[in-house]
Amino acid sequence: MTLGGYQIRLQRRTNLPGWKAALISVLAVLFGLGLFSIIFLQAGQDPLEIYKQIFSYAFFNPYGRGLTINRFIFLALASFAFIIPMQAGLWNIGMPGQLYLGALAAFGVVYLFGGKSGELTASGAVVIPLMIIAAMIAGGLYGAIAGFLKGKWNVNEIVVTMMLNFIAFYLVAFMIKDGGPFMNLGGRGESFELPEAARAPMTGGYPITLWFVFILTAVLAALFSRMGLGYQIRAFGKSPMAARYAGVKPFFIAVLVFTLGGAIAGLAGYHYFGAVPGVFKIARTYGYFGDLSFYGVICGLISLGNPIASLVIALLFGGLSIGGRYAQGKLHLPFGVDFALMGMLMISLVAFQFFYNYQILITKKERRLDVAVSD
Amino acid sequence: MLLFLIRSLEAAMIFTFAGLGELVDQRSGILNVGLEGIMLFGATLGFIAAKTTGNYLLGFLVGIGIGALLGLLHGFFSITLGVDQVVSGMGIWIFGFGMTTYIGNPHTGPLGLDKLATWFGVSPFFYLAVIMVVLVWFVLNKTGFGLKIRSVGERPSVAEVSGISVTRIRYMSVIFGGLMSGFAGAVYALYYNPVWNYNFLMGWGFISLALVFFSMWNPYILFGGAVLFGLLWQLALNPQMFFPGLASRYIWRMAPFIMTILVLVLISSKWFRSRWGATKPESLGQPYHKE
Repeated sequence: MTLGGYQIRLQRRTNLPGWKAALISVLAVLFGLGLFSIIFLQAGQDPLEIYKQIFSYAFFNPYGRGLTINRFIFLALASFAFIIPMQAGLWNIGMPGQLYLGALAAFGVVYLFGGKSGELTASGAVVIPLMIIAAMIAGGLYGAIAGFLKGKWNVNEIVVTMMLNFIAFYLVAFMIKDGGPFMNLGGRGESFELPEAARAPMTGGYPITLWFVFILTAVLAALFSRMGLGYQIRAFGKSPMAARYAGVKPFFIAVLVFTLGGAIAGLAGYHYFGAVPGVFKIARTYGYFGDLSFYGVICGLISLGNPIASLVIALLFGGLSIGGRYAQGKLHLPFGVDFALMGMLMISLVAFQFFYNYQILITKKERRLDVAVSD
Repeated sequence: MLLFLIRSLEAAMIFTFAGLGELVDQRSGILNVGLEGIMLFGATLGFIAAKTTGNYLLGFLVGIGIGALLGLLHGFFSITLGVDQVVSGMGIWIFGFGMTTYIGNPHTGPLGLDKLATWFGVSPFFYLAVIMVVLVWFVLNKTGFGLKIRSVGERPSVAEVSGISVTRIRYMSVIFGGLMSGFAGAVYALYYNPVWNYNFLMGWGFISLALVFFSMWNPYILFGGAVLFGLLWQLALNPQMFFPGLASRYIWRMAPFIMTILVLVLISSKWFRSRWGATKPESLGQPYHKE
């Protein structure tokens, strides 16, 4: 294509330097936010003004900041749950199901210690670690189903994890509604509240799960950059065939990445239902929190599977979704602004995937004097 | 009992519409895992259009139109831009899920129109689904155009050399796929379950996707599978009809999802693949770059 003396053409990239990939990701997010501002324009508001309010509420208002951090923890864990299988070229969209199972297991521990009636038969120092461990085991085992089926028979993991989400969704409903074992004593269709002693301790005003996020970030960064196992996972993701010749066992990798991902998603379930101040129960709207974990897909894709980058993205999206919720109340927008943001960011991200594969070259065209010769 | 069968067939017709579109799509070599998102869009926008104007026809047209547009979008991403097809499909799904949650919310609740008429007790769309199955089978297997679609899905480079425009055929297929998914969503929202709620499609798009894998890319088997799933779905909704008092209704609700996984495992097994596995379009999911 030629435009004003310049030739514009597309060229396939052979390699992509890290800073360019980061730049593309930043542009994708900005473009998504631009798309999102349509919602504010439609409500007759100045998008820049609203964005200013969203950011100041999410990051500078003390109450809003607390919400942002809680959501950041959740989104970071959801992204890790997505990233680990993604590095092996597999899609885990089963975070909702895995986190429901994690939440159920954590509440199961409290139930076993008699916590349903309000008093624990053991001290919190015993029960809380058990809750966390149970949540991770349950999430990990649930994730392992998809990994097992993928590794053993090459069953499509996207459909399987999605189906597992619905199964877990109804399992939660069974446990907390219609007289299920975890139903609260008042008979409302939600779980019993965690007794005081079983609530996660706070450090510096934030739940302890925040520390898990930092530790996991370091562990994952080390796993993928320094350890042989991380290298195997990535090699398998790049080319399963070549990795197999190099001695990587596909079955092992598939089960491993889904187990690890599921365990982290289980921790996310523990976080939202067992550690966020003011919740401490599996609320009737638990499906909302499950669906929020799909943000993990976007965080994982934008950060190209880098755990540290995904931390930054999770903080940004956590703040945006909390701030979006605030703007929703203020402007009387319909429910689900945070989901609209999720959709806009996702579609923008997909469009920008193009630039990972292609670059646009603009070169000045040499002027030639084309003389018509007519004899 | 009769009502049970009728509702099963009506669920089957929705799986069939969405599945047929995806089947043609995949036959041309394009995998669209985002049909849940397209169906959600077709369902939600079709629902809003019909509810606000009181006009059913408009609702269906809007569903078809948005479906075709999203199919085109998937085509643009995966054919023209060469984006990974799974990434693009997942993007369309999350886009559909997120946007329809927001757009549809003010319209939460029943449609509030007279229910559409039936023919001999079953929705006319069921007969349309049967006709479409035969039609798609005929076009794919008995016409030159169908041969073009299949050849593009198997060996695009060979098809290109023999004078077929891979890009054009694939675009036509993805638009058809999107249009059928959007229509399936509209039928769901305007006839089968005319009460809007967020994410009310309950994974039917993903089940339709699983059905296409199940069908071995044959429209007749797809239809058989759709009827099977329709029956299962109804059974899960009304277990007391056959097994009174057995297990909670929430446990029963899991049944179709568990069945989907079991069916997928069965067709993915070596035993199955070694017999019928060769039917998979050779270049499914691989972008084609004209050299």
